[in-house]
Amino acid sequence: MQKKLKFKRYIDNSNVSRFRFWIQIISFFIFVYGGYFFIEIASRLPIFSCPYVQGSPGGCYLIGIQHELNTTWSSLWGFRGIAILTSLATFLVFFIFLNKAWCGFVCPLGTLQDWITKLRKFFGFSFTRYDEMSFKRLKSIKYILLVLLILIPLGIRNTFFGIPLPHGMHTPFCQICPARIILPLFTGDTSQIFIDFTDTTTIIMTSLGMMSAAIFLVGSFVKKRFFCFFCPMSALQFIFSKISLLRMTKDGDKCTRCGNCYRVCDVGIREIADDIISKNIVKDDCMLCAKCVEACPEDDCLKISFAGIPLFNASQEGFFKRYGQTDLNELNELNKQKNESK
Amino acid sequence: MKVNSDRYERMKKTGSIHYAMEIKKNLAEITDDFPDNPENMEYFYKRFEEYTTGNLHEGKKVIASMCVHVPLELIYATGATPVRICAGAYATDQIGAEFLPAKTCPMVKSTLGAVYLDILPGNIKPELIVNPTTCDQKKKMGEIAEEIDKPFFTLEVPPTKDSEEARQYWNRVVKKFVKKLEQTTGTKLTRRRLKKAIKTVAKAQAVYRRFDHLRRKAPVIYGKDAILVTNSYFFDDIESWTEHVEKLNKELEERIEQQKTIGKANSPRILLTGSPTIFPNMKLPLLIEQLGGIVVTEEFCSTSRMIWDTVAVDEWFLYDMVPAVADRYLKPSTCPNFTPNTDRERKLLRDIKEFQVDGVIYQTFTGCQLYDMESRRIGKILEENGIQTLYIESDYNPDDFGQLTTRLEAFLDSLKNKK
Ligand code: SF4
Ligand code: SF4
Ligand code: SF4
Ligand code: SF4
Repeated sequence: MQKKLKFKRYIDNSNVSRFRFWIQIISFFIFVYGGYFFIEIASRLPIFSCPYVQGSPGGCYLIGIQHELNTTWSSLWGFRGIAILTSLATFLVFFIFLNKAWCGFVCPLGTLQDWITKLRKFFGFSFTRYDEMSFKRLKSIKYILLVLLILIPLGIRNTFFGIPLPHGMHTPFCQICPARIILPLFTGDTSQIFIDFTDTTTIIMTSLGMMSAAIFLVGSFVKKRFFCFFCPMSALQFIFSKISLLRMTKDGDKCTRCGNCYRVCDVGIREIADDIISKNIVKDDCMLCAKCVEACPEDDCLKISFAGIPLFNASQEGFFKRYGQTDLNELNELNKQKNESK
Repeated sequence: MKVNSDRYERMKKTGSIHYAMEIKKNLAEITDDFPDNPENMEYFYKRFEEYTTGNLHEGKKVIASMCVHVPLELIYATGATPVRICAGAYATDQIGAEFLPAKTCPMVKSTLGAVYLDILPGNIKPELIVNPTTCDQKKKMGEIAEEIDKPFFTLEVPPTKDSEEARQYWNRVVKKFVKKLEQTTGTKLTRRRLKKAIKTVAKAQAVYRRFDHLRRKAPVIYGKDAILVTNSYFFDDIESWTEHVEKLNKELEERIEQQKTIGKANSPRILLTGSPTIFPNMKLPLLIEQLGGIVVTEEFCSTSRMIWDTVAVDEWFLYDMVPAVADRYLKPSTCPNFTPNTDRERKLLRDIKEFQVDGVIYQTFTGCQLYDMESRRIGKILEENGIQTLYIESDYNPDDFGQLTTRLEAFLDSLKNKK
């Protein structure tokens, strides 16, 4: 092992997952209750900071984009167009710093899924994974949702192919977004649990919303980060991922393709282990949680850096610190739990 | 051939004597022909002395394995001790030849001979002999087991490791293996035991990796000794092994500090690869080092390939631990039984760079098709990278000593001249 700066070594040996756990709690608190404490961050954030939550200190860029696109072609070239560009710029200013780590560390809906995973683990139930085929097939859904949430609002004021879209289809994704229904519950607000009987469109859309909330809860209980896999925000982020300052890179020559990284990846990204060519290894489903870097036992094979400054590198010393040490207390603890034969 | 017949008894008697002599002779060569062996190697030399005389793992259930693809953690977790019995002795090779075609791999013959005569490392009495379906010769050897009445268990290793299908298949095979282990040992696999086993093996790996890194830093230990260290992982008590490798590491560190290196500045640094060198078949590394080369690293299934790779578990429950262990024994393996096996090429290139290797010596056992066939591809890649390679076809018969010496001498000289 080559000589490393003491501080760097300390970081590389650290447990990022534990750090992430606490950051997520703090972020969740800020993005669900921050508004009550007069925290005001910004609208157009690259996460589900949902304005339907009363305490939300910011706004999710997806609702912004849907609102702004609910306009006519001609106004797109004028004042509206400028507004659209400014909000995209706001989104990017935030996004550029954290890249997809917004998903891994900040997004309250992402955090909620991780907590549901913890709950499942508490019961000792196994998780499921998509097989390779389904993974490939299903992964396009988020892009389809993204395209729809852009086209549908445009289709209300303008008609595509002469198909009229009712006004009830405004902000179509928000209507089916589980965050709108679930996150307000944390402030005691149950008002989003309802079906709007105004007309057929609203009935359909609000029912879909209820369904998606239910699927969200069940789905994330059986599969880690179930919803993120379909999240259009994640698709949108990925389009800009390359320009971000936070990067995750891989040195394929150092990789033994042991698959450790793939095993621990909550979203199940196969390329993280198998791709030995790409340098930039942030894939569209990645949330930059760094679990893979923690699990990689080869020095400097996977790396996370910010503007070229290395932040967290895979190291064998770190690996054995995290995975190899036998903590007998922990073992006794395990023994106490009844799940012996699970 | 019936066990317990007169002929068998006679065979066993002479076989054992030859075997003991072979071990003694080789060990003497390893220890006496070299100056200044590390003090902490003493422990490992002792282990090999006890090879024939000891009563290893007495009172414990022993599961014998014949390959790096047998998940050790699972064996430890069912309360048994794994011992790898792949053999390197010419004495038992000749016994195995009674059952197998003449051109069979000497390791397969030797192992079968040892099993047949019950002369296994430390005189263990295995409850089960796990035979993975890697190369064709091992596969077919399993069929002879019935003939000689030994408790063989076939572990179905898939022929490829990259596809998802192979991974799932292997996962199921490993689950079946767990059942078999539980039946054999009468101990149930539990979360606690498996976790402990994973951590115990991880500790050994961490210490081994440290050893490996020290070897990169400076030439402070001969390859012949390093091979004994890794070879003793076959049968030694894992905790004791870890402890002693740790001690050896300390000593090597001191040697690095005191610049007490072996060889000369222009000693060619050699990487050994191909069919596995297993004690007492040490003629290749011994000859190389007697002739002035230094074996700096080995890419063998009897050395680094066996210990290097790690288990990473996400959720410490059996539902995730067992597949995690299974993955570890499939995904990173560089065994030529897999196709494609590009990981082996990459590993070799990585090792050549990190160990500053001057030349590669590629050993193929007579009859080992897999390593033989792969040598062409590997050779081409090494050539492209400007690495000189010597191919050696050899078996356990000590007769080719003279011819080997000439070839090795020429090769080492040419490397020296280039330095
Ligand atoms: S992918 Fe997940 S974490 Fe990221 S914005 Fe969507 S819901 Fe949030
Ligand atoms: S954990 Fe590291 S070495 Fe293993 S496959 Fe992933 S990147 Fe490669
Ligand atoms: S690839 Fe790595 S950083 Fe990305 S989600 Fe998977 S484990 Fe996390
Ligand atoms: S050396 Fe070759 S033939 Fe012999 S057991 Fe290994 S792979 Fe099979």
